[in-house]
Formats: sequence, structure tokens, C-alpha cells
Amino acid sequence: MPGQQTTRYIYDSVTTVAGQTSFSFFQTFAGKNDLQTNLTTNKLDSSESMVIKSIYLRGNITPGLTGHSNLNITVGNQVVLKDFNLAFNATNRGVSFDRLHSGFSGTTVLEVRLLTDIVIPPQVNFKATLELAENTTLVSENLTLGFKGYGTIFSAGSTF
Amino acid sequence: MPARNIKGNVQAQDKILYVANKLGLSSLKYMQATTRVVYDQSTTAATQHTLFEGAAARSFPLTNLGANGNQFQVDEALLVEKIAFFIPDAADGENFTGNTNRSFKFDLIIGNKTVMKDVVVEAGGQQAFYTDGTAASLVIDLEGVGILIPPQVEFKIQAKLMNSSTREAVSERVGCYLFGTGVLLNFNTSI
Repeated sequence: MPGQQTTRYIYDSVTTVAGQTSFSFFQTFAGKNDLQTNLTTNKLDSSESMVIKSIYLRGNITPGLTGHSNLNITVGNQVVLKDFNLAFNATNRGVSFDRLHSGFSGTTVLEVRLLTDIVIPPQVNFKATLELAENTTLVSENLTLGFKGYGTIFSAGSTF
Repeated sequence: MPARNIKGNVQAQDKILYVANKLGLSSLKYMQATTRVVYDQSTTAATQHTLFEGAAARSFPLTNLGANGNQFQVDEALLVEKIAFFIPDAADGENFTGNTNRSFKFDLIIGNKTVMKDVVVEAGGQQAFYTDGTAASLVIDLEGVGILIPPQVEFKIQAKLMNSSTREAVSERVGCYLFGTGVLLNFNTSI
């Protein structure tokens, strides 16, 4: 496929409500500015695609991200990441998935490197849902989910 | 092909397909590859625990196995590449702690076969491999490529806790995860 190869990072941020434990990402874009998400729809353009290599989660929610979690990612109608527990990479408790686990990993931020490439093709809807075990979330806190990897973006080339 | 011939530079997905072929799982190669972690917790303090067995009766956050419990559904599998133990901090199983002085002796049993026997995850025992912040690692990397849990076969872990220094039995809660390359069901046809 023609296009400019690149490193791509897409993210979506949601504002929480008290007691909320389930969150949906890449589904609602209305009312969000470009710092809260860098997409306007939950699919990539016709000339764009990407491979998810790592998952980033950050939030200022009260209990932090150290409790168990369930992350599901769906591309099209296919679940590509199922009931994935991100919490093992939060903080330094000796159970991270990665051999080189940063000492800076805290209670509010974590990243997980995937073992397999997950492709988001052009113009296919995708979404993510996250369930947290701990539900003491206060009003108007934020939770951001990001996917990082490589991909292609539009390149005019000699088409025009 | 003898097992020794699949060592070397074989990749995780190669091993999944090799074992699937041996087991006659001809459709597994058409399924969705993924990264997967399954975990289970025993939140009543004891010196010995059986994990994953009976997980269908538990729900999140005690486990993420769901209604199928300790067996994967049709055309789902997990190549176990890392195993780690942790200690739930309360009976609700919502969170857990790290530790520096607990070792976990365990057997991994798949179907009727013990595939890992009397293995110990020592506190800090993988310092040569893991730089996990400032914490002592409680993860064991499986040598070679890993061990495949095929679809629809029950698996469990039998574990004992001990004090890493004194080698005395310890009564505490225990949690465990199995992490590696996974396979998810993908209907490649219209149904």
C-alpha cells in the first residue's frame, strides 16, 4: 500500500464520574479537544493504518491503576485483545511483563508492550473498553488510553 | 519430529502451530493472534493453593477467566511464556502487593499432564533478567519458547508459599498469572 511509513500514536481521554468502573475509549469524540484525543472518528483514513505495539494508560483517578483491570480491544467485529490485565505493569511490584520495567512506573501511569502485532486496517472501526476493579473514582477525573506503534499515513507521492 | 528439533530460533507462533498440528487442531492457524494474560487468585490465607481450578465460579476481579473457567474455548489457546505470583492485599482481590521475601513452589498441570514440576519462583530470583524498578522480580521466564495450553483442556497451578530466607511454609493469600502469546477465536466465514 502506498503511503508514508511512520510511528503512530493515537489516544483518547475520558472524563470519569463518581463510582464508575467501566470506560469506553475511541467511541465518543464530541466535545473533546485535540489534547483529549487526536482522532475525530473511531477509524483510520482510507490511506492510513497502524500496528499496535504498546498500550499506554494514564489517569488521575483516585485509586490509581494498581488494582486489577480488564482491557478489551475490538477491531471491526473481532476482539483482538481479550480481558487483558494491565495492572501487573503498574508500579514496581516485581510482576511486570517486561524485563526492562521502568522504575518510574507509578500508580497513575503504565505501559504494556505487546508480544504480537495488532493491525488496525484503514476504515475499520475499532474501540476499547476498560473495567477497573476499584471503584472509588471521584467526579471529573480523567483516564487516557493510548496505542503506539508503527503505521502508514497519507503520502501524495506522484498521484496528483 | 523430535521435540529437540523445534528449539533454537523457533518463534512463539511457530510453536503454537507446531503443537496445534500435532494435536490435530487444523483451524488454529486461521485464528486471531494476541497477547494474553490470565490470572486467578486464592484470597483465603493458606500454605497451599490450587489456582485456576474452579475459576468459573469466580468473577472479576478475582479472575479474568470468565464462564469457561480454567479451560479455553474452541480455537483459543495460550502459549505460556511468563509466570508470576503476587499476594492479594485483601479478600476482595481488587489489588495486590509485591514482596521481597516470599518464594512460590508450584506445579503447572495441563490436562492430566504435569508440565512444570516443583519449580520455584524465588523472590528476586531473576535479577539477571529483570530490571523491575527497584523491586525483586517474582516472574519466571519459561526457557525455550514456552508451553502451550491448548483449547478445551483444563489447566491449574498447585502452589506453596515459603519464606525465601528461612524456607519455612507461610500462610498467605496467593495470586498467579500466566502471560504469553495467545490465540483468539475468529470466525473466518459467515455464520
